[in-house]
Amino acid sequence: MAVIDLSKRNAPANDLRQFLDTVCDTHQLDYAAYAGVNPIAQTVHGFVNYPDEWQQLYVDQNFQHRDPTLLAASRSISPVDWKRLHREEAFDTIFHAAHDFGISKQGLTIPVRGPYGDIGLFSVTRDCSEREWQLLKSSILSDLQAAAVHLHDHVVQSHDMVRRLTHPALSQRETDVLQWIAAGKTQQDVGDILTISSRTVEVHLRSSRTKLGALTTAQAVGRAISLGLIHPG
Amino acid sequence: MILIVDGLNRHRYSNLIDEMFALRARVFKDRLGWDVVVEDGKEIDEFDSLDPAYVLGLDDDGHVVACVRALQTTGPHMLSDVFSDILDGEPPLRSPTLWESTRFCVDTDRLSGGKSRNSVSYATCELMAGSLEFARDSGITDIVTVIDPIMNRVLKRSDCVPYGYVGSTKPMGKTSAMAALLDCTDERINRIRAFAGIEGDIFVDDATARALEDGAETRSEATVVPAPAQFASEDAAATPSALQAWCQEQLGAASSTSERTAALDLVATLQAAGMLPEDTLSLNKV
Repeated sequence: MAVIDLSKRNAPANDLRQFLDTVCDTHQLDYAAYAGVNPIAQTVHGFVNYPDEWQQLYVDQNFQHRDPTLLAASRSISPVDWKRLHREEAFDTIFHAAHDFGISKQGLTIPVRGPYGDIGLFSVTRDCSEREWQLLKSSILSDLQAAAVHLHDHVVQSHDMVRRLTHPALSQRETDVLQWIAAGKTQQDVGDILTISSRTVEVHLRSSRTKLGALTTAQAVGRAISLGLIHPG
Repeated sequence: MILIVDGLNRHRYSNLIDEMFALRARVFKDRLGWDVVVEDGKEIDEFDSLDPAYVLGLDDDGHVVACVRALQTTGPHMLSDVFSDILDGEPPLRSPTLWESTRFCVDTDRLSGGKSRNSVSYATCELMAGSLEFARDSGITDIVTVIDPIMNRVLKRSDCVPYGYVGSTKPMGKTSAMAALLDCTDERINRIRAFAGIEGDIFVDDATARALEDGAETRSEATVVPAPAQFASEDAAATPSALQAWCQEQLGAASSTSERTAALDLVATLQAAGMLPEDTLSLNKV
């Protein structure tokens, strides 16, 4: 996925905004936003690439305490198309105001749940026909799910305390798979060696990438080596 | 037909959710003998309070005849907790595109044999297809599902053989439990549909969904989903004093030098992270 690897960056605020811009560019979206609560640090994080004037109005009006794209969506496990929220009380108020800033009420929120009861909400919008929207959604949802978790984990892990308390916990199978990939084997080879299906190898690889905060397998291998979890090829 | 009930619409379907809990009690407690808690004839556990998504299979009268529960593997779920035995002590898989499915069951009392629309076989396949389609349409690529060997055999016979397993089979009640992997690809979904002769959209349409709500006739148009506490309040931050009090308790309870050193280290770490005020230790001395 052509998005910024957040874990290599230093100045968080700028990079997070840039991450949102890249997600929008890559997936033909208008705007993106993230809001999340870090339960260990008890801090609330939010950043968006909406126009500054809209951000200001949103905060002035305290919309974050009524916004169904945050409040209601946080109770879902699946991406919430904002169409599902039309019956919610504050929806019309907020999106009527948003319309003046060129922000469409066509969008969706991906809720992320972390291991500590932490919740992050990653939202995107796109002004286009209903048909286009459905097609776009089905083609980008998996990538957006991955981007949402990468973003959320990065925000939670950016707190010093959390980093001290957590360490990537790879299973033996995940370690074995990464070790063989590091040795230059293909997924099919690894499946044959471990007598598991190629898709099982893929699932373990994807899980390892998530646990190591990596977007690609190459990054995951690099990080696993640097953490001493596997040996260099 | 299939209805998805989750944290957004659960307050409108409490009757159906209660039917589901009753079905789970009959299956997991009575039939399988699993160590589950049943109260008032309903099987409910701590994961039901985490706003999971339920995929409900309904008969033509709108009664629950099959159900399954889905949770994200990025957050708390059963394999990371109560089913960790199955994983032989290994950490669970964690992926944005992998969901966990648990409590898959069908009502063998209400349904008949054979392969008709009202049969156990059809209801099982419809629920499998429904849950895989729901996951696929959410951008999910794979499901790890906790099942017993009978369900494992049903999957194989329904042209839906798992492509892999994690951990190992462990005794559970009168049977045992295992964690199987299923992909949410069109190929798999089409195989299940072909096996059971399922055609067309299996999800309830909007009008039916409204008719199935609690007290459908008196339902009001505007509803508000109750917000979770951490977002609803302006003062979401827990009082630092709770953490402070806990640290002081730890210090007070320390019965050896090493325990006291460990408690002091923790205080220092928390202070360095800005999570405890600098005067935490002086308060302790008072």
